[in-house]
Amino acid sequence: MPWKKLPSCIILFLALAYPVQSKLSGQKDSFQEDLLISPLKDGKLLAHFQFTTLVDAGGLDGKDGRYAHYGLFPKSIGQIIDHHRVQELHLTFTQGRWQYEDWGYPVAQSAGTGVELWAWMKSDDSIESNWRSLTNTLSGLFCASLNFIDDTLTSQPELSFRPEGAKNSYNHNEKMREGTEVRYGILPHENVCTENLTPWIKLLPCKSKAGIATLLNAHKLYDTNYHSMAIHIRPVCQDANCTSQSLELVQTVTSVLDPVRESGRRDWSFSSLFGREIQSACPVSDRSTVTLLLPPDEHEYQLTPSYDTITERTAQLERPMAVYNLSQHTEPLNLQMKWNEDQFSYPLQTSKPRVYAHKYMTGYGHERGGVTVNIFNNMNESQDISYFDSVPWFLKLYLHTLEVSVLGKVNIQQNGKFRAMSVCLDKLNKASNLGYLDIVQDLYYQPAVDRSRPQVLEMKLRLPPDSVTAVSIEFDKVFLKYTEHRPDANRGFDVGPAVITTLLPAGDDNMASTVLELVANRQVSSLTLDTHTRQNTKVYTEILLASLPTPDFSMPYNVITLTCTVIALFFGSIFNLLIREFKVTEDEVEEKKHDEKGDTPDSS
Amino acid sequence: MTKKAILIPSFAFILRIVLFNIPTIADTLAARVEVVTPITSFKRLTEGLYLYENSVPPYDNGIFHQAPFLLVLFSALTSLSPLAIPIAYAAVDTFIGYALVGITQMKQRNYANAPKLEVEKAMSPIDPWTVAALYLFNPLTIFSCVSKSTLIFTNLSVVLSVALALKGDAIYSMFWVAVASYLSFYPAMLMPALVLIISNWTPSNNSTLMKQARASTFYFVAWLALFLVSSRILVGSWDYLYSTYGTILCLTDLTPNVGMFWYFFIEMFDQFRNFFLVVFQLHAFIFVAPLCIKIREHPIFVIIVLSGIMSILKSYPSVGDAALFLGLLPVHDELFKYARYGFLVTNLYLYSAALAPIFWHLWIYAGSGNANFFYAITLVYNLGQVLLLIDIVYAVLRRSYDIANPHTIGKEVVHK
Repeated sequence: MPWKKLPSCIILFLALAYPVQSKLSGQKDSFQEDLLISPLKDGKLLAHFQFTTLVDAGGLDGKDGRYAHYGLFPKSIGQIIDHHRVQELHLTFTQGRWQYEDWGYPVAQSAGTGVELWAWMKSDDSIESNWRSLTNTLSGLFCASLNFIDDTLTSQPELSFRPEGAKNSYNHNEKMREGTEVRYGILPHENVCTENLTPWIKLLPCKSKAGIATLLNAHKLYDTNYHSMAIHIRPVCQDANCTSQSLELVQTVTSVLDPVRESGRRDWSFSSLFGREIQSACPVSDRSTVTLLLPPDEHEYQLTPSYDTITERTAQLERPMAVYNLSQHTEPLNLQMKWNEDQFSYPLQTSKPRVYAHKYMTGYGHERGGVTVNIFNNMNESQDISYFDSVPWFLKLYLHTLEVSVLGKVNIQQNGKFRAMSVCLDKLNKASNLGYLDIVQDLYYQPAVDRSRPQVLEMKLRLPPDSVTAVSIEFDKVFLKYTEHRPDANRGFDVGPAVITTLLPAGDDNMASTVLELVANRQVSSLTLDTHTRQNTKVYTEILLASLPTPDFSMPYNVITLTCTVIALFFGSIFNLLIREFKVTEDEVEEKKHDEKGDTPDSS
Repeated sequence: MTKKAILIPSFAFILRIVLFNIPTIADTLAARVEVVTPITSFKRLTEGLYLYENSVPPYDNGIFHQAPFLLVLFSALTSLSPLAIPIAYAAVDTFIGYALVGITQMKQRNYANAPKLEVEKAMSPIDPWTVAALYLFNPLTIFSCVSKSTLIFTNLSVVLSVALALKGDAIYSMFWVAVASYLSFYPAMLMPALVLIISNWTPSNNSTLMKQARASTFYFVAWLALFLVSSRILVGSWDYLYSTYGTILCLTDLTPNVGMFWYFFIEMFDQFRNFFLVVFQLHAFIFVAPLCIKIREHPIFVIIVLSGIMSILKSYPSVGDAALFLGLLPVHDELFKYARYGFLVTNLYLYSAALAPIFWHLWIYAGSGNANFFYAITLVYNLGQVLLLIDIVYAVLRRSYDIANPHTIGKEVVHK
């Protein structure tokens, strides 16, 4: 009886509240919709839709019928997480690549190209079958090939992809993590399109009939430089002590649109971007806002209609933000922004984000190669990061070739505190004895097994200030059976991104997500940026294309025939030699031959 | 004689050390698919060693498929000095040459009173040091050694087991053949032939063939069990059995080599894969009994033929296997005069040696050829080996016939 351990007052409260709660469970749900629009420095426009559904999750333990009553929370999702004993689930469909160097950090947490799924699940005997079933169910629900995330692509990160539930529940309450395990899988090759968006929209209480979801026009949405849609499910605490929890479903769509492409100007409106206007707020929503992150100089642009509230510019937040509260609007909203310029001129210098990375292949030919990830730290202080890379089994990594080195910059060598060096597992101790600050703090490696699991390389790195850290490793390419190749074998195989997770304080490059957090916490009126709160930021590198050696696909019969011929020649000849005996031919025959040929018979 | 005994091994040793110290040659050879295979690659051994020394289970992966004793051996060698490994390889190869001298000498002593052909009575048998030189200066041997292929330890064990069997030492002969079987599985087929050597030529041995076979089988099984159990203790789990012998038998790694398995099983239809795997693996072993029965008078020759069969029909052959076969071949030099396809076989070897690297480059790097190019070359190479094997088996049978039937010389003889 675990509830006996709870304080008696809570038991009393629960006992009183229970009948009411179960009847009105639909009303305990809440729904919020937010749209964040932010002009980016290279003239593009970021539009981030976020829909949050909260449902009372009851106690910590999942009793039967926990999600028996569905109001705003989608039943299909509720049943899936209930049935597969999922604690936390993150599913992202992304098309295109997020340009960290031009756009800063994305608002959404996941940005790896393709389809990414990771979940914290109850770790019992059936976790493997639950995970398989989960991928298959989600595959059916979202019309995506998620069922291809099988054992060969599934990994269990040890350092990255920590639970993202509310601080109270996870970071401060280790109990929550007990008995759960994470599973991670990515399909870098997966294309995202309308058939994935339609089921995603169906999960919203107002579908795309009302509220800001009206703007989700598939024709316009996929005509963009970058597009990502996601669902994130996690338990969050309702109060500081986390006595009761809510289940939070966050659905996001992030798009990077390009108004400059058509007119050469940065002007945009809802109708030009999405071909639609917002008619009204979603009637069941608690909050329905459109937030516009404005450029620092207010003389550069004109905005129609006028905003409801605007924040002050502060030292931390240079760009003011205008907020439109849709529930107060009676007329359709067609937000317009006009820039006071004839033509947009691209900025020659972009301000780089503080931590970002690039991944590329080295080597040539189909036999072997290498992967290098360059991790850039543009800050003046050292930064701790977690590095995660899951490499499919068909690239055989050699851990003994792993090298972590700091590409030299002048100030690194001058102050002598950090030195460019190669750090491998065994060198770690030697390096620390010598007094250098170790770059590799921790390393976790899981070798691959052919046709059953991928390699996982995880590291905790301490990036020296203002530096480029290169992680490189060599691999051999595997020769696959001809049935294991894709139909387009010569295109190659996609290899997922490396993921860098780090805690970054609020700054210019992650302002958008900071702002959204403020909006979500309804702190718009009293906006103070706390520079000490650090945001959990994930940086995804490029996905790679590995071309593997291909056999000739038209050859099976020929190969079987030719090889068997050589083997049969060998077997037949040896068999003949071993079972037959040498004999002299009959004398008559010999003489006859002798007469005909007129020479002596040879003895062969 | 003594001059040869000093010059040949020391020159072979120095040649290898020099080649080890030319990184372009050593590194290129270490990466050639013709020379190293997934189960003998030094790079994979390094990875296994690295995982082992960092207490990651070395057999729970798709890279390392070599026996646990090699881990211990190389763990010790690398801790000595960076020079230890090249010296060890060169020394082992030179020692194989030395063992071949011993084998040849003992063989010639054993055959001294054997019946001979008339023409052979005037001829002196081959100089043992020529046999060693033919092995030590065979380019295939040198390539295999300089590539640091761990196959060299199997070859050493095979040669030592033959030499000790000729000395009549059943226990240690079985020890070395068990080592060879432990390292690369296939040499287990040599065991019956070694029993024949021991029982044929050990004068003091009064026991019958059956008694000798029973005792030797016991030694063999006991040694092998000892190795397997001590390996289990060494690495802490039985995983290594599947990772080493499972890979050899099930062919999980389809990296190309000079053999006939890789492309066959890349192209094989999935539903017939297991059937053909069983057929191919059995095919390598079915020749043991017939050869041991039919050619029981010449057990060293049976060893030679079986090592040739291994170099064609094992799942991951390399030129190192051919080097052992070609190295043992001159021991029975009296057969060469019966060889009919010498010119053809030589040309097939040269042809495949010249074209294999080219076609590999065309397929893997230039992209102007495809897998069939390299496959065709492996077929040619294996055809050459097959013809050579057929030829020498014919030669030994025909020579025995001619010795038994001197009156038929000059008459037409057919094979019925």
